[in-house]
Amino acid sequence: MSMNVPSVFLIVVIGLLGVGLYALLTVRNLIKVVVALQILVKGAMLAFVLVGRLTGQVNLGQSLALTVIVADTIVAVVGLTLAVQVRRKFGSLDIKDLTTLKR
Amino acid sequence: MAATLILLSIGLPWLGALVVWMVGDRHEKIQHALAVAFSLAAGVAAVILLGSAGKETALTIPVGGVFGDFTFVADGLGVFLAVIATVIGSLAVIFSVDYMHGEHQLGRYYAFVLFFIGAMVGLVLTSNLLLMFVFWEITALCSYALIAFHNDDPKAVAGGVKALIITQFGGVGLLLGAVLLVSTTGSYDINALLASPSSIPAGTLAVLAYGFLVAAAAKSAQFPFQTWLPDAMEAPTPISALIHAATMVNAGVYLLARFFPAFKDVPGWTEAVMLVGLVTALMAAIMAVVSNDLKRVLAYSTVSQLGYMVYAVGTGVVFASQFHLLSHSVFKALLFLGAGAVIHSVGTRDMREMGGLGKKMPFTRVVFIIGALALAGLPILNGFWSKELILEAGLKHSPIWMYILMLVGAGITAFYTFRMVWMVFYGKPKAEGHIHDAGKAMKVALAPLALGALTTWLLAGPFSKILGTETLPYHNIHAESTWEILGEVISLPTLVALGVVALGLLAWWQRDKLGGLGKALGWLGKAAAASFGFEAINRGVVKGTQGASNGLSVTQTGLLNWNVLGIVVALVILFAVLALGA
Repeated sequence: MSMNVPSVFLIVVIGLLGVGLYALLTVRNLIKVVVALQILVKGAMLAFVLVGRLTGQVNLGQSLALTVIVADTIVAVVGLTLAVQVRRKFGSLDIKDLTTLKR
Repeated sequence: MAATLILLSIGLPWLGALVVWMVGDRHEKIQHALAVAFSLAAGVAAVILLGSAGKETALTIPVGGVFGDFTFVADGLGVFLAVIATVIGSLAVIFSVDYMHGEHQLGRYYAFVLFFIGAMVGLVLTSNLLLMFVFWEITALCSYALIAFHNDDPKAVAGGVKALIITQFGGVGLLLGAVLLVSTTGSYDINALLASPSSIPAGTLAVLAYGFLVAAAAKSAQFPFQTWLPDAMEAPTPISALIHAATMVNAGVYLLARFFPAFKDVPGWTEAVMLVGLVTALMAAIMAVVSNDLKRVLAYSTVSQLGYMVYAVGTGVVFASQFHLLSHSVFKALLFLGAGAVIHSVGTRDMREMGGLGKKMPFTRVVFIIGALALAGLPILNGFWSKELILEAGLKHSPIWMYILMLVGAGITAFYTFRMVWMVFYGKPKAEGHIHDAGKAMKVALAPLALGALTTWLLAGPFSKILGTETLPYHNIHAESTWEILGEVISLPTLVALGVVALGLLAWWQRDKLGGLGKALGWLGKAAAASFGFEAINRGVVKGTQGASNGLSVTQTGLLNWNVLGIVVALVILFAVLALGA
């Protein structure tokens, strides 16, 4: 059984996106939410690189991926900071406790 | 030059809003001074803009392909309304210095007032329908925020919410029009539509025309949306003057006047416009007769006078409608600010608790009576000339029964105006406590308005020139001299109209002897006090909207997992559609 490189890539991309989305659907701990987001975004990044290679625009795909890395780092930092603050204020990391805007 | 002035007259109030808000509520004096300075500066910019009015696009802001360029045209109609918005608006701001003295949260107050004025200027000067919609909605939001300014008073909040919900019907009509226009012509340019209305299919044009009529009726509190304006009386009085004279309600009449050349050939449209104006003018006038709340009487009179303007647009004489708008802005701002001085002094809005205030408030009495005479349409005040122009247009271009009913409306106007003046300033004094005349800043705002009510009719000639074909190529208004226009007014029908007005006055003079007639019409009074049933309908609409939004809040779970599920489902649907489509 032999697979070419793009299809391996594609399976990894779909796997990462699937795991990330599934985690976002089920996880309720704020820190785990940030981790799930990271997994999801890694899948998207890989997809950029893959599509860049498939369409022959390797540079474009890779530079978009780099941009996502920068943005994604900021998301992680801000998200984790917020998680710390939420824990201090509400005494819990469960996102079910964060619906005060609704009431 | 024109571009700079347009930017200034929109930008100065908006900049002022930001600055006054940022100064902070601990510096009240600076806030008052800054608000007056910024609004006056905008007024000056708008007045100078009068000089460079023209039909060419004066300012273009490119914003990318989707929305078309944001274009502004300083044509006669726009410039004239911009001047009204900024000048009357700045007088209301000056009045506020006394009226709002010692109130809390002045930053919020002045910021919204200035934001309101700037948005109104933008609304009348832009020639991009989408941008017009944006400004339109900003004015709706500002009016909501200002009507509900005393947000610890449930009545004020309810009035604000009602105004917002009812005027949103108009917003939907306008948005529908904008979307239709861009989907058929591919551009948001208003003037392109005015130039060749036949370029879009007749059916689409009809939908546009009636959609805009709904928009204008909701904004200008016309039948059947007329009940939001009286409830808006919970606002501080300078705000009422601002909404009634300078901004908000003029927008509806402006919309009809602006698009009249495009819609005049749509079957039944002009008749519908005339009918809306007629029904509103009569209904509101009767409601004003039975109301005992000073500000509500004024509110009903605004609704009624707006009915006259809408009717005039329907007859095709846009000039008469806009000239009455000018007169009305001046005398209604005068009346509202005068009423504000009275209310500020007496501490109640119920006219039954006033009476005999004339001796203690001589200045206010004089200016208020000038405004009242203009509202009643007595010569030689500005309201007389413009109302007669409208009636004359009605005689020439509408069915005779409509003309007669409008005449009756003028008589009722005279009746309720004198009833109001009498109940407030004459008769037995009832109010107790310290009654004082208008304060200094109040006088500064009232005096020019009183002078204006006496003299703006002299501007008829220049006014027809600025609305003429040089700046408004599609409206077919001919520039005439003041004397020509005034000469047209002085004719036999005018004498008849004056007779009807005199009859209205006589009816109030001889009210005791007419007691039997009053009793016979008691059912009408009761129906009018209940807004002819429309109050209930409008209240139902407001309640229904609020109930629906409460119900729909279930969909906002606030839970991340559910929201992600929504995203995933939408993604799946999108992929399915793409797969099936391909």
